[in-house]
Amino acid sequence: MSILSALFLFATGAVPPPAPPPPDPPAILVSRQLLASEHLALGDVIALSGDPKGSRAREFRIAGVYEPVPDPARLGMVPLEARLHLSDLLALIADPADPAASESVRSIGVKLVSPAEASAFMRDLTVRVPGLLLRELAASDDSDVTFVVLDRFHLAISLVTVIASSIFLLALMVMLVDERRDTVAVLRLIGLRRRRIFIQVLAEGLVIALAGALFGVLLAVVLEGGFNRFFQWRYDTALVFVRVTPAIAARAVSVAVPLGILASVAASWGLLRRGAMALARR
Amino acid sequence: MSPPVVEARGVTRTFPMPAGPVVAVRDLSVTIATGEFVSICGPSGCGKSTLLHILGCVDTPSSGELLVDGRDVSTLGDAARSALRLSKIGFVFQRFFLLPMLTAAENVELPQAEAGVSRAERRSRTSALLDYVGLAHRTHHRPSQLSGGEAQRVAIARALANRPRLLLADEPTGELDQATGQQIVGLFERVHADGTTVVVVTHDPAIAARTPRMLSMRDGRIEDGASR
Repeated sequence: MSILSALFLFATGAVPPPAPPPPDPPAILVSRQLLASEHLALGDVIALSGDPKGSRAREFRIAGVYEPVPDPARLGMVPLEARLHLSDLLALIADPADPAASESVRSIGVKLVSPAEASAFMRDLTVRVPGLLLRELAASDDSDVTFVVLDRFHLAISLVTVIASSIFLLALMVMLVDERRDTVAVLRLIGLRRRRIFIQVLAEGLVIALAGALFGVLLAVVLEGGFNRFFQWRYDTALVFVRVTPAIAARAVSVAVPLGILASVAASWGLLRRGAMALARR
Repeated sequence: MSPPVVEARGVTRTFPMPAGPVVAVRDLSVTIATGEFVSICGPSGCGKSTLLHILGCVDTPSSGELLVDGRDVSTLGDAARSALRLSKIGFVFQRFFLLPMLTAAENVELPQAEAGVSRAERRSRTSALLDYVGLAHRTHHRPSQLSGGEAQRVAIARALANRPRLLLADEPTGELDQATGQQIVGLFERVHADGTTVVVVTHDPAIAARTPRMLSMRDGRIEDGASR
């Protein structure tokens, strides 16, 4: 048969065409974590399947790596992801028994920049595409959103911290002021007025409170990087866990300074309202 | 003739206590003339320190009148009495009461600064005062670096800083040994000789014996106000 074939080919003067090169697999992107966990490299060809059993797998070539968008709701879950072109994705997961599987869309969600314009948008769309069933979804109530709850939890913690530290600060100031009882007694006996000493204590309280608040902000800024690096390493994520913004720093200072002054005033007033000799006597 | 430096007329001082009021000074009248050197002595609890505090406008009498330089000060408010102490009255205490964080010179400068004396004048006056009490070489020492006698000398220099008309001392030798105590009394004699009225509270008869006038107190009253 081979001789006949060769003869036939020779007789016709035709040369068998070379076999066409296999088509290049479609390109995909994989997440950094997937690349690392499966020891993959750029240019590798991998098989993906929409079925957990691996049926109807298709080959893809890794064209690039991406860092998944950090999602606090998925903290602790390693994002083993791949990004495919829409057509490749449809071809991969479409049901072959359903001829319309790759052509029909059941619903489309549209998020408007201005939710207030939803009604006008729906009217306009109905006119343009008759037959569409349009439904406006109310914006979800923020109160049940995980991170709003977390925010409130943080607020509660910060309030408790501020109240507890204020009590501690007041106790500390009372002790510090009491240690200066002799000094206040001397100043009063020499002839310094209460108001004069009070202003002095107030100025000291202001300086200490300001210095303390600024030190706290500085410490937070210094620790911010360390905290973020540790938890980003711990959870293998690009999430930012701690962020000290100028607004947060300003808020901290604006709470700390009045509290510090208030504590020093409250503590010193207890001492100053007493007579000079009462202070001098132990 | 100048008015008495300080005059108490029918002064009573009562302290309210949970167990009932305690009368420390009873209907007491005394006059301290300009240039006097007076000691107040008596047993513990007889009211001598309370009397000194009233005379020095640190405490206010429950009743009676107190005149300083002829002016009734018994009804003055706290700020006015503070101003009076700053300008006219110097205090020396048993426990020195120097400010530990300040040097000897700074302790002496403090009342002058409060009285508004200029920096140059303060320095000059402080230097002169420390020299006067024999501590020119201890100007920059802190109280913790001074002996008891030296600390009391600094306290005396501080009490004299604003040129007071009246120098009051409450047991000024109570924490000193006898020899140092005698030196301090000698210093008071010198201050008196230089024209300042001095009133010393003491329970030491030897010190009281060195003053030209001694007021002997018992149960809140003056038993004997003899001049020698």
